[in-house]
Amino acid sequence: MSAVYLAGMGLACALGEDMPSALASLRHGGVPPVMVDVAEGFRWPVHALAKKQGDWTQRLRDLVRGVVAQTGDWGPRTAPLFVASSSLDIGFMEHEQQDLRLGGDLQDFASVVADALGWQGPVFTVSTACTSALNAVLAAADLIRADEADEALVIGAEMGNRFTVAGFGAMQLLAPDSARPFGEGRNGLVLGEAVAVLRMTSQPSRWQIAGGANVVDGRNPSGTEATAVHAMCSGALAQSGLRPGDIDLIKVQAAGSPVNDAIEAEALKQVFEPLPPLVSLKSALGHTLGASGAAELALLVGCIEGAAWPAVDYPLDASLGIALSEQVPRRLRNILLNFAGFGGGHASLVLKDTGP
Amino acid sequence: MSAWRTVAHFVAHPPPAEWRDDLARRIGRRPRRVGLWTELAMYGARCCLDAAGEDSLPPGARIRVSSQRGAWGATHAGLVQLDAGLPMPFTFMQSQPALMLAEVGRCLEWQGDASFALCRDPAQVLRLAKLGAAPDGLLFGIVEEERNGEPARTEWWRLLPA
Repeated sequence: MSAVYLAGMGLACALGEDMPSALASLRHGGVPPVMVDVAEGFRWPVHALAKKQGDWTQRLRDLVRGVVAQTGDWGPRTAPLFVASSSLDIGFMEHEQQDLRLGGDLQDFASVVADALGWQGPVFTVSTACTSALNAVLAAADLIRADEADEALVIGAEMGNRFTVAGFGAMQLLAPDSARPFGEGRNGLVLGEAVAVLRMTSQPSRWQIAGGANVVDGRNPSGTEATAVHAMCSGALAQSGLRPGDIDLIKVQAAGSPVNDAIEAEALKQVFEPLPPLVSLKSALGHTLGASGAAELALLVGCIEGAAWPAVDYPLDASLGIALSEQVPRRLRNILLNFAGFGGGHASLVLKDTGP
Repeated sequence: MSAWRTVAHFVAHPPPAEWRDDLARRIGRRPRRVGLWTELAMYGARCCLDAAGEDSLPPGARIRVSSQRGAWGATHAGLVQLDAGLPMPFTFMQSQPALMLAEVGRCLEWQGDASFALCRDPAQVLRLAKLGAAPDGLLFGIVEEERNGEPARTEWWRLLPA
């Protein structure tokens, strides 16, 4: 059974279209969201990708090529490819006439991505809302651990579309201005667009994907469940051969929801005593939904390697009894990344720094 | 785990006329506002587990679901609603595969590792689902709504390592 490592990563998000530019934006306090009109009288802030020339599909092709290029030379592109997304190609369909919509199937989006890359290997679509990319990472890790593949590519992609913004707005989950994860007076999440790429390999490198867990709990399809938070943390720790005290940093899910943030904070305090440092990336990236598992993992590694860190420029909710780290923690060996979202999905990943 | 055995295989293609009543009888309630595709998944999953003689799915088992078209009807309806103004919240929720996973888990009284994936070659999805699975095995389903004359389909397998 092979171990699984991260051989490369790429990121295009509202902060920038590559890691150096994203980190530079972060060091200067980030980029504010832009307002997106979804219907007459309804507009919501979104951490949107920079506007580009070309139609929706061409922008997708250009972004994917650019972000995959950040992961180095692939040679023959025969490895398994996982395309993770919640909205898939709904942004393309919005611009189609009604009778031309949905003529294809759910694999069309991944096929466009694969064609843009000239990909020859098997292509999978993974769509489990906010845990999509994390579940793609777990599936790719299964392939590598079983020696069924030496490498795999995971692409998390959430492209601009009104349907998702309007849908989340209709569910009354969005903040009208900015997201304040774990913040005082937080009032909802802010969506984000991103294309993020993780190159996974069996060849040893600095960052090892030590373990992970995916837990679906259907009792509250739009919320976080404390028992599922316990289960995902415990499952990821067990697969990694670690105990709670071994974790040096937790990348939290917290998106700014009044209720879900509180449930997550309380559940983490029950699993980890004392709590290790916490970091939240959603006030900088937005909630990039199905891409978040790849986008937040890539940005976090970028932050650690590039000595950048997201600012916490709002007061935290004192009643939660937690703090968010405002600089890179001094000791960082084992990092837990947590994701949760729509449909009762909860997923955790342990990232281990194997460097000296 | 390279060898697997099929404990139960359930297929409804198309489902019988009274399948919604059958689902309500089996789970003790009528699903509300979850959408046709999710109800089809719930029906097939529950029938497959009943055929396997299991009251509930073991916590260590995996659920994996695949579909070429997913919640086609809800997605189409949501886009039409967007054209007219805003999508309704329940229509938007019904368009998401994650809602289906949540409701399937709920009707099996189960919390665990459930995911939705597809590939042009369906055999690759099943092969992937088996990798890394625990001794409690796998509940694997393919669910499609009726479309273009092709009847609705909900087909499930309860699989255990041999």
